Amino acid sequence: MDEKVIYEKVKESVVEALGVDEEEVTPSAVLFDDLGAESLDLLDIVFRLEKEFGIKIPRGGIQAEALSAEGESLKEEDLVVDGVLTPLGIEKLKMVMPEVDPARITEGFRADDIPTLFTVQTFVNITKKLVEDKEKAG
Amino acid sequence: MGIGIDITEVSRIKSLAEKHEQFLTRVYTEKEINYCNKKKNKYQHYAARFAAKESVLKALGVGWSQEIKWTDIEVVNEPSGKPRINTYGKVKRLMEQKEVKEILISLSHTSHHAIASAQLIKGE
Repeated sequence: MDEKVIYEKVKESVVEALGVDEEEVTPSAVLFDDLGAESLDLLDIVFRLEKEFGIKIPRGGIQAEALSAEGESLKEEDLVVDGVLTPLGIEKLKMVMPEVDPARITEGFRADDIPTLFTVQTFVNITKKLVEDKEKAG
Repeated sequence: MGIGIDITEVSRIKSLAEKHEQFLTRVYTEKEINYCNKKKNKYQHYAARFAAKESVLKALGVGWSQEIKWTDIEVVNEPSGKPRINTYGKVKRLMEQKEVKEILISLSHTSHHAIASAQLIKGE
């Protein structure tokens, strides 16, 4: 499926879930800081996308990709210790979320705060991946 | 040891439940749904349970890689009315790994907000 089509649907979902103006929604807009979202709003957006595309976005699904990336057998403790990202965790997170400004992921960044990094493009990327997985599975 | 706290707006839970049919079944167990639906202000009870689940996840320091389900954490009420936490699946395994014997929970709600506080008790 074309990314443009997915982007338009993500944009529509964000506008409806957050009640923001269309002009405010750009690929790089940060859900929390730029568009005023709260954690339950993310769920609202997730459910809209699930319905639209017939996919299931698991809790933590966006972040979980870091561990499965490139078939590496990384363990949770390699990436996060006491809720704080390790240097390797920071590196991997930047890699799996290239849409996020890397300057926002600094030393001492907490895994709990990952959702505050999400941009409109983050939702486009995860939706695109899940739609492709679904298409592959037939 | 670990503690966690969360506050949830009742109106947000009501609106999510009304807008998305998958919300209740994705987040709550059958037992929780049956309990809340019997209550006069059911969304206050749903909101308190949502806050409880989030506070337990915070207390456990759930990492980014674990695809945990909300239904892995269940709030049940003892005959006295006191809430208690049951855990399943990945959350149960995580408790075992962290040698957590019990999770204490305290809930409170008004017509607008629900709040929950969770505390992990380590076992021998």
